[in-house]
Amino acid sequence: MPPATAVELTGITKRFPGVVANDDVHISVTEGEIHAVVGENGAGKSTLMKILYGMLAPDEGRMTVTGDEVSFSSPGEAIDRGIGMVHQHFMLADNLTVLENVILGAEPKRRGAIDLEAARTSLEELGASYGLDIHPDDMVDTLEVGERQRVEIIKVLYRGAKILILDEPTAVLVPQEVEELFRNLRELKAQGHTIIFIDHKLTEVLEIADTITVLRAGRTVTTVDAADVTAQELAEMMIGGDLPSPSTATHQIDDHVTLALAGVSVTGDDEREALSDIDLTIRRGEILGVAGVEGNGQGELIEAILGLRQLAGGYLTFRGEDIGQWPVRRRRESGIGYVPEDRHRRGLLLDAPLWENAMLGHQTVEPFAKGSLIDRSGARKATEAIVDRFDVRTPGIDTTARALSGGNQQKLVVGREIAADPLLLIAAHPTRGIDVGAQAAVWEELRRVRAEGLSVLLVSADLHELIGLADRLVVMLGGRIVAELDPADTTPRLLGSHMTGAEVDDGEPAT
Amino acid sequence: MNPVPLKESRVLRWTIAILGLVLVLSVTQELARPETNDLISAGTAGSTLRRAVPILLAGLGGIWAERAGVVNIGLEGMMILGTWFGAWGALEFGPWWGIVIGIAGGAAGGLLHAVATVGFGVDHIISGVAINILAPGITRFLSREIFATQTGGGITQSPRVESVGHVDFPFLSGGEVFGWASPDTFGWIADRGWFLVSDLCAVASGVTSNVSWATLLALALVPGTVYLLWRTPFGLRVRSCGEHPVAADSLGVNVYRMKYAAVIISGGMAGFGGAFIAIEQTGIYREAQTQGRGFIGLATVIFGNWQPLGAFLGSILFGFADALQLRDRTAVHALLLLTGVAVGLVALRALRRSQPVGAAVLLLISALVLWWYSVTESVMSELPPVTPHIATLLVLVFATSRLRMPAADGMRYRKGQE
Repeated sequence: MPPATAVELTGITKRFPGVVANDDVHISVTEGEIHAVVGENGAGKSTLMKILYGMLAPDEGRMTVTGDEVSFSSPGEAIDRGIGMVHQHFMLADNLTVLENVILGAEPKRRGAIDLEAARTSLEELGASYGLDIHPDDMVDTLEVGERQRVEIIKVLYRGAKILILDEPTAVLVPQEVEELFRNLRELKAQGHTIIFIDHKLTEVLEIADTITVLRAGRTVTTVDAADVTAQELAEMMIGGDLPSPSTATHQIDDHVTLALAGVSVTGDDEREALSDIDLTIRRGEILGVAGVEGNGQGELIEAILGLRQLAGGYLTFRGEDIGQWPVRRRRESGIGYVPEDRHRRGLLLDAPLWENAMLGHQTVEPFAKGSLIDRSGARKATEAIVDRFDVRTPGIDTTARALSGGNQQKLVVGREIAADPLLLIAAHPTRGIDVGAQAAVWEELRRVRAEGLSVLLVSADLHELIGLADRLVVMLGGRIVAELDPADTTPRLLGSHMTGAEVDDGEPAT
Repeated sequence: MNPVPLKESRVLRWTIAILGLVLVLSVTQELARPETNDLISAGTAGSTLRRAVPILLAGLGGIWAERAGVVNIGLEGMMILGTWFGAWGALEFGPWWGIVIGIAGGAAGGLLHAVATVGFGVDHIISGVAINILAPGITRFLSREIFATQTGGGITQSPRVESVGHVDFPFLSGGEVFGWASPDTFGWIADRGWFLVSDLCAVASGVTSNVSWATLLALALVPGTVYLLWRTPFGLRVRSCGEHPVAADSLGVNVYRMKYAAVIISGGMAGFGGAFIAIEQTGIYREAQTQGRGFIGLATVIFGNWQPLGAFLGSILFGFADALQLRDRTAVHALLLLTGVAVGLVALRALRRSQPVGAAVLLLISALVLWWYSVTESVMSELPPVTPHIATLLVLVFATSRLRMPAADGMRYRKGQE
């Protein structure tokens, strides 16, 4: 008898305004297996899992769980069906104990009060039977990341889940913790649980998964047996074959170094080293592309250059001057522009009018300020100029930023930075989540300013963008630069191999 | 870790702290005689307790709301509603019904705050301030409609109201047992004049004789709140809404319902406090008789680190300052001595924790206060009435170090947010 199907998703489609996150997705998960779902950022993995866990409702498609057709309107209904989810960002209250976090919403009762003894016993039993080491009375804020994740898994098991969804569980873990997690997952599998594992680190996926489903741009590419596939083949499936031809426009890069990092190290939020010994130079008229799976130090690199994060070691020179100790404002005023990765959180005041948004980061200099005061008419005139020059489609400059589409918001941000005539532009994912037209406009603008001698640090997850725009590429992995490549003879496949740490065995030059 | 020794050491620490406090008070009392006899006495102790109750209730109310993640700056307004409805209920149906109706009045204020902040996502401070402005308007209107037509009443006050019963504890403070007058143990020892022991018994006598049943009920709400919030599923769910509402929601907790319940309970507590002021403390409703105690109650929430016992201690402290200035204005002068000594002790602690700068500043303050005490006979007449507020400020300045508020306190929550 073939093993039963635990979860089957058929023709799932989910649309958000302007994007189709899932487009006719098919996945079939066999009971008792570890099934990995892989794909690039934005491929629709998280959306799909939220649909399965009842956090989002699909627009089209059918779901069956252990043979019964279901439709969930809340996570509670998914929990009742034996589905549990370990979120990428932990859902734990810091100021409550492990025990309280686990039993919340499903408390054992005795005479109206919480039966603490019964709760503690069942927690310890769960911990012992799955080899998950936890202490029920610890406050969650004293726990390490790995321990928190164990609490999340216990939380799901406590509710009787047989099907566990783990959303990028290794993203926050160090290698030893990953090994511990994998031990726990194999133990769960041995006891008959089904695990759906979302990730984009291919070596890990190949180590733990039985079956792998690849998503690309919201569609199912294929489902393969983990034993029959290599990391390179997976990377290729994730990224796809068709590429735009790289820009052939000739331009001048001179020898003048705009920005140089020498031996830069930075400590991350979790007190671990987020950047180790980074050496980088960007010359005038050059676009340096930084590739890497998200969370490998790109954010910290940007923050270190901007001055948002203290250097733990090394030197940072901008046009020959050591700026390592300069405050952010002085760095900005000396000519560093910044297009942030998340325009809503870092780039714009959504409820402020465009003309106020246009002066963010430049509020101390002309034309936005006169002396120590804001120059309203100057600011408005400058905003009009940005709106015209960068084709920001808006009814007027008194409109709030929230009213604009994502592409127009991004054009405003990019325009604001370029109009300030910087010498170095840091662009983090400048075309993420915007439509094709706006994307082309942003690319065109970056090429144009490069021709004028601007230096650009381009951090992106879009490999086509990197290969098409950059003059030189570096790959970051685990807070280090692991490769430097010439985009002219780089393929997304090679880049993907470097990004995921897979072996490069096809003889292409890696330097 | 074995929890039992921890508990024992905690009891020991509390005993030492209380004994130390009485010792400091006793010593200061000896130094301040014959200027005042009221620093530590049965009268002051009893008065402290009565003065502390409304502040305590406001504090507990604050804890309920903030543990659920709603800042309730409208406690003052809910308390005002409690004073009016308490007095009205007591007039119409008797004192116990007055307490119940006062609670209902405060709870109605809480419901309004919940509708605004939880239902419509209004900023908590704005809604709270609105309630504080609205409440005196409502009570003035109601007074004109109702109290002004009654004999002894007017647009700013009610006729006199009867209070609920009082009790002397049997065997401790000479209460009656089936008609037989038991011995007044504490009172007897207190009159002996033994250093420290008599002072301790005077305090004990003060808090066990002529105690209102409403006071006892209010005190019972301290362990009651601890039990509800920390031992029942309901309490855990309420607290989870103040710490991480998204997590609570993801586990099927109805965040809105929990917040509504907590804020209504919060208003009910404040309403009880208001009713207590009108029915027990003054025996009459008078406009503006809450005198900002709702805000002081909010201060005890912070002082007490969002714990009921902490809020209780804070309320006792403010009650003490309040009682002293009411009973004996010269005692406030002696309070300078006490403040000087207390700040000096805090300075020594800072020195032990190797914080030389802080210690130096505190020592300087201590010296200044003691110098002020020694060169003056009395304090200016403006000082006594504001003593509780100054005490609030001082305490908050010194108590803010190890405080931890609920992580999602004061934040708007919308279902489905991430």
